Amino acid sequence: MRGEMVAIVGASGSGKSTLMNIIGFLDHCTSGNYIFSGVDVSRLQDSELSHIRNKKIGFVFQSFFLLPRLNALQNVMLPLFYRGESVEQSREKSLKMLEKVGMHHLAHHKPNELSGGQQQRIAIARALVGDPEVVLADEPTGALDSKTGNEVMELLLDLNRYEKRTIVVVTHDQEVSDLCGRIVTLKDGTIVT
Amino acid sequence: MKLTAHLQEGLLNLLSSKLRSILALLGILVGTASVVAMVSGGELATSEALKQFKTLGTDLLAVTMMDDPADKKNAAPRENLTLQQANNTITASKDILDVAPYTQLYNPTQFDGHELNGSVLGVTEQFARIVHIDIEKGRFISTLDGYAFYCVIGQGMYQQIKQITFLDPIGQQIQIGKNIFTIIGVAKSWPENSFVYANIDNAVMIPVLTSTMLSKYALINNIIMRLSSRSDIDQVKNQVTQYFNQTVGNKRLFFRSAKELILKMTKQSEILTIFLGLIGGISLLVGGIGVMNIMLVSVVERRREIGVRLAVGARRIDIRTLFLVEAVMLSLVGGTLGVIIGMLTAYIIALFSHWQFSVFLLPPLIGFTVSVAVGVFFGFYPAHKASQLDPIEALRSE
Repeated sequence: MRGEMVAIVGASGSGKSTLMNIIGFLDHCTSGNYIFSGVDVSRLQDSELSHIRNKKIGFVFQSFFLLPRLNALQNVMLPLFYRGESVEQSREKSLKMLEKVGMHHLAHHKPNELSGGQQQRIAIARALVGDPEVVLADEPTGALDSKTGNEVMELLLDLNRYEKRTIVVVTHDQEVSDLCGRIVTLKDGTIVT
Repeated sequence: MKLTAHLQEGLLNLLSSKLRSILALLGILVGTASVVAMVSGGELATSEALKQFKTLGTDLLAVTMMDDPADKKNAAPRENLTLQQANNTITASKDILDVAPYTQLYNPTQFDGHELNGSVLGVTEQFARIVHIDIEKGRFISTLDGYAFYCVIGQGMYQQIKQITFLDPIGQQIQIGKNIFTIIGVAKSWPENSFVYANIDNAVMIPVLTSTMLSKYALINNIIMRLSSRSDIDQVKNQVTQYFNQTVGNKRLFFRSAKELILKMTKQSEILTIFLGLIGGISLLVGGIGVMNIMLVSVVERRREIGVRLAVGARRIDIRTLFLVEAVMLSLVGGTLGVIIGMLTAYIIALFSHWQFSVFLLPPLIGFTVSVAVGVFFGFYPAHKASQLDPIEALRSE
């Protein structure tokens, strides 16, 4: 549902990540159809998938996956770069987004100069900068201590609450899933609840 | 996606692993430099070899006469060409403008008791005209000298004599064999030429008639001819052969034409240049393989990055361009530096060989084009490989 905050939970090997990869257009489903915004996307071409990923999906990974050679701002600008937006425009948007996640003052720092929580905030800014329909967060707090993890979850909850973003969180942390509006439990590749 | 953005990003990536980039660049650089230097060197050598004909002109034909070995059995008295007959070669064809018969002797030459290195040439007045000998002091041999014991010395000989005496060489005496000759002239330095076998610089030139008296081996069997510029060389050869058959007969004739010589030399040096270029090309190939190697390592190292880029919406073609741009940039910079260093090397070669240096457009052009082509060719495979990575696998890799 649009505007929801959903948690996907389940033991390891239950298929959480695969489901998320399919939702995020990184993987093809071997059977069944995937209807996204009314379109069956299971048979799209590579370049079309890239386009959808770029426009409609924002990824947040467990270990952040910021490009080490680029600074925070350049990392956030990356989706807009592949969208073909002008440098000035994407710089402006990205700075705004960094401000939203509270990382404005660290825009010109490289990822290795930042703490885990800071990196994850920047990763969230990168996921949001393209104004996606869905944000997919794969264990967003998994690599963080509980305090910074809570801060990151607060940020995601705020984005859901005040901006009505659709957010899917994959987690096996009960505390995290309890914060979400709906919980989907997976077991051995099938949805249980 | 704008190309400038790709260039910027490529540059950033190359700069972030400087040592590796420099090593890849070095391979291309050395390859390009060797292509440019070798081809330039080959072209310089060619133009240097042909330079001698610029002063001498190309309308020259030389003929050397030898006794037919088959004739020896007849034991017939050998008939030698007289000066008159040699000079009359001019009547053999209307295309012959000038003739210069000469003899060559290897009698020991002494000045003031010191041995001189060099040969003795029996020449006529025309000889100086045809092979362009300029006089520094005194005068050249004249027809009027007849059987006189006069001689003109080359510049090299003059330098040898200068070390023995400070006196003006004109009027000094040189001993050739057992005869005393008076120096009447000194020739200016003469650029060596593969068309005229004798080295004028290290020669003592005496009247041709005098030379025939000195030794029974001094035969008039060399003649240099200047032809009109539109002459048919083969026809002239036939006419000259016919003339000699009528006058002396039973001689074997060997012709050398400047035009044919130039043609042969050009062809030879062309082959040489191609070979040199190929040798240079091999090192460029090795450089290209180096680029491929380094790009492949880079692709493996940056798998995670490729995955992230794919996840945020990069198309496969974007990934390919990213890596291809890096490879091309490496070879572009390497190629440019290589051309510069190659030209410098050619210049240094020219400097040490005392050649005249001139810039040829073709070698740097070839070097540059080939180096960029090598970059694209060897960069394509790693770039393609990067673009075909599966995003999930790429993200999972450490």
